[in-house]
Amino acid sequence: MLQLQTYLLLLLTGIMWGGVYLLMALGLNLIYGVMKVVNLAHGDFIVVAGLLAVTLYGAFQAGPVLAIPLAALLFLLVGLAVYRGLLARVDTAGPQGELRTLLITFGLSSIISNIALLIWGGQYQSVPFFQSSVRLGSLFLPESLIISSLVAFVLAFAVQFWLIRTRWGRLVRATAQSELGAASCGLNTSRIRLLTFALGAALAGAAGALTVVLIPVQAASGGFVTVQAFTLIALGGLGNYLGALLAAILLGVIEVSSSYFLGASAASAMIYLIFILVLIVRPQGLLGQRGRI
Amino acid sequence: MRERQMRPALARTRASRVTSTLARLRQETAWLLFGIVVLAAVLVALFGTGDQTQLLFSTCLFAVLAYAWNIISGLSGYVSFGQVGFFGIGAYVAATCQILWQWDWYLAALGAVLAAIVLALPLGTVMLRLQGIFFALGMFGLSRIGALIATSTSLVGGSMGEPVPMVGTTQETALVMLGCAVGAVVLTAWLLRSPLGLRLLALRDDEKAAEASGINTNASKVIAFCLSAALAALAGSLYVWNVGFIDPGSAFNNTYELQTILMVLFGGIGTLWGPLLGAVVISLISNALWAQFPQQQQIILGALILIAVIWMPGGLVSLFQRFGWLRRRPVWGPPPPIGTEKRLPLFPVAVGNTDESVLCCQEVTRRFGGLTALNRVSLEARSGRIVAVIGPNGAGKTTLFNLITGFDRCNGGAIRLGERLLNRLAPYRIARAGIARTFQTCRPFPSLTAWETLLLPALVASASKEEAIRAAAQMLERLALRDQWDASPESLPPGQLRFLEIGRALMLRPRVLLLDEVMAGMSPEEIRLIHTLLREAVAAGCAVVAIEHVVPAIMPIADHVYVLDFGTTIAQGRPDEVLRNPAVIEAYLGTGEEEPVNA
Repeated sequence: MLQLQTYLLLLLTGIMWGGVYLLMALGLNLIYGVMKVVNLAHGDFIVVAGLLAVTLYGAFQAGPVLAIPLAALLFLLVGLAVYRGLLARVDTAGPQGELRTLLITFGLSSIISNIALLIWGGQYQSVPFFQSSVRLGSLFLPESLIISSLVAFVLAFAVQFWLIRTRWGRLVRATAQSELGAASCGLNTSRIRLLTFALGAALAGAAGALTVVLIPVQAASGGFVTVQAFTLIALGGLGNYLGALLAAILLGVIEVSSSYFLGASAASAMIYLIFILVLIVRPQGLLGQRGRI
Repeated sequence: MRERQMRPALARTRASRVTSTLARLRQETAWLLFGIVVLAAVLVALFGTGDQTQLLFSTCLFAVLAYAWNIISGLSGYVSFGQVGFFGIGAYVAATCQILWQWDWYLAALGAVLAAIVLALPLGTVMLRLQGIFFALGMFGLSRIGALIATSTSLVGGSMGEPVPMVGTTQETALVMLGCAVGAVVLTAWLLRSPLGLRLLALRDDEKAAEASGINTNASKVIAFCLSAALAALAGSLYVWNVGFIDPGSAFNNTYELQTILMVLFGGIGTLWGPLLGAVVISLISNALWAQFPQQQQIILGALILIAVIWMPGGLVSLFQRFGWLRRRPVWGPPPPIGTEKRLPLFPVAVGNTDESVLCCQEVTRRFGGLTALNRVSLEARSGRIVAVIGPNGAGKTTLFNLITGFDRCNGGAIRLGERLLNRLAPYRIARAGIARTFQTCRPFPSLTAWETLLLPALVASASKEEAIRAAAQMLERLALRDQWDASPESLPPGQLRFLEIGRALMLRPRVLLLDEVMAGMSPEEIRLIHTLLREAVAAGCAVVAIEHVVPAIMPIADHVYVLDFGTTIAQGRPDEVLRNPAVIEAYLGTGEEEPVNA
């Protein structure tokens, strides 16, 4: 009986952590899906948004309800500026273009994280909000985890809905599938790319302001967040939204249960191991499509 | 008339010879400068202060890492985010050798290099099947796993690290590291002038086209991967020797990886001098910044990257290349003039007697999900004969070629070259067995010159270097591309590009030549030239199978015609018979009322 309860708890927390990881990867996935750009500054967006939430809390006792929209708006503007000022200035097509965007976002990441270091210092900080636990039968779950993962799943479905059901979403998907085709149908693809990048950045901002209640952040932890988010979307099949959801749940469950059974460092080794195995067996990710020759 | 045509050509050769001599002089200048820089570095190591020597050591360390990364990611095009893992492995193996068995540093370094190669061989074989960003991230994951293993093992210090006996002075380590950096430069220079380098550049540009030219791309990639791993491990072993301490955090340091990548990209990826320039410039700048603005150093470096990428996309080297400096020298060029007495037959007789069955496809079937692209198609190619395969779009013509050349696998049926079954062979083995192909859209190697494009398959087919050079030079002449020998394929007009691609296929000395719509979009004049070339090949006993959309272009020279429609053979026979066949007229040419073609 106790055994079953443990497994249930592991599964539940695993799924919830999966939701949190998904939230942190949403923006990255959107940007990659449409622009084929891996935004290496993604984690830094999240971290800075989190630190901003910490400052807001310190100054006005403002909770995530205020911090989330503010951070989202701020990073929407940051996204616009980054796209206009940097990404729109280089040719992003082909393998050389891929390298160029990696390099630009890498440089950006270095700039943002070090400015953050100057402003906020190197300590881990968090927002003490939603600190109680919820009792579910005989199980206890932290409130912050429940709220974060709920918001994560809701946001993920909202993005999915927006992509599939709305006019703008259709335009974005058309651009993602064939930029040339979309352009020849008269779409302003550079505006759609601009919008996508800004939206992806805003999603990162929102995710950062929320998850800081759960995961303490420090100015330099952006790189790790980026890697984690990338692992997730690569596992799901780059740019594939349903795949990302599946991968998120899988990763969450695996991480929670392997850190329970094997310890923390083995858990992170496990994730990389599974990542490599998936890449070798299914290089296109869980639900990705194999490219044609 | 003839004279007038000759003279400008002659003048052009002379002019190109002058420019090539100048370019060579500039190349030698680069080596001269390099020698002076190395000499200055030796002086710094001998007479400099401790800080200067340490700076020299770290610059050289990064230069070696940069060249290691450049070999796999620059020359072979497989961008890796985890080559620093081999640095860590080298560091750990060397530390273990020194701590546990009291080996000397050079023996430990040798052990580290060997260990890295032994490890890289299986890892590379598996990982290099991945493409693009997947390979990059897979390597990242592997290096993380390496770090975690190092953390959890209790052999040399575990997560806390352990001191390594320091026997060398800073001077000694700096000098040895400098030697390694020079070695890395020389290794890359040798690679860029060797057949292996040629193969790497070709597979970087287009892996399929390289396979079709008879190149074992997997083997070449794995060799490059091992070389890169060996260099990184060497750097790691010397690093341990220099700092006298080993711990997972600094051996598997991600910052090293990023800094290395930054240096190569800043200097110029895939070039000989780029990694060196990048390593020196970035090391010096970050060192100076560290002294001036320790707080803002990383911010300024980041901004520098942005500026470099936006204003200088090809790296520092591309600035020099604009003036003709530091360009890659074509391998074994320029093509030597071939005296008449030394001429080999351009098309060596492939098969003894003509009209012998060479290539035989029996009831080949290929299904893509529910769609049957080819349904029990049979085809025979005979030596000294030209077979045409015609049919509307989507008839399965190119699929048939992909099956024959091993780029795709059949669901049923057999494909034989002579007696040999080809069904399960890798594309490069089929190419070497004697089946050469062209692609529907040209797939040139943008990094190679016209001369190297021909040399690449010639090296596969020839017994010796001299023979390959002679064959490639002759083919260059035959295709009237001698004056453009060092031109990039991208600068050639479409017609010449097609000729180059046919030449590339012919350099394999094929028994069967598969041509996929080579005459599409060509002028009547160019079509005539292709006809002549094909007749020459056929006269030597080569069997030709040509897919063609332009029916009048192929009919005059075809001996036998197959008509495909929806994956089945609807007709075959002599060209005039086939064109009168009502089924063909209906399926392929539309209405049955009008005169089918003006052949």
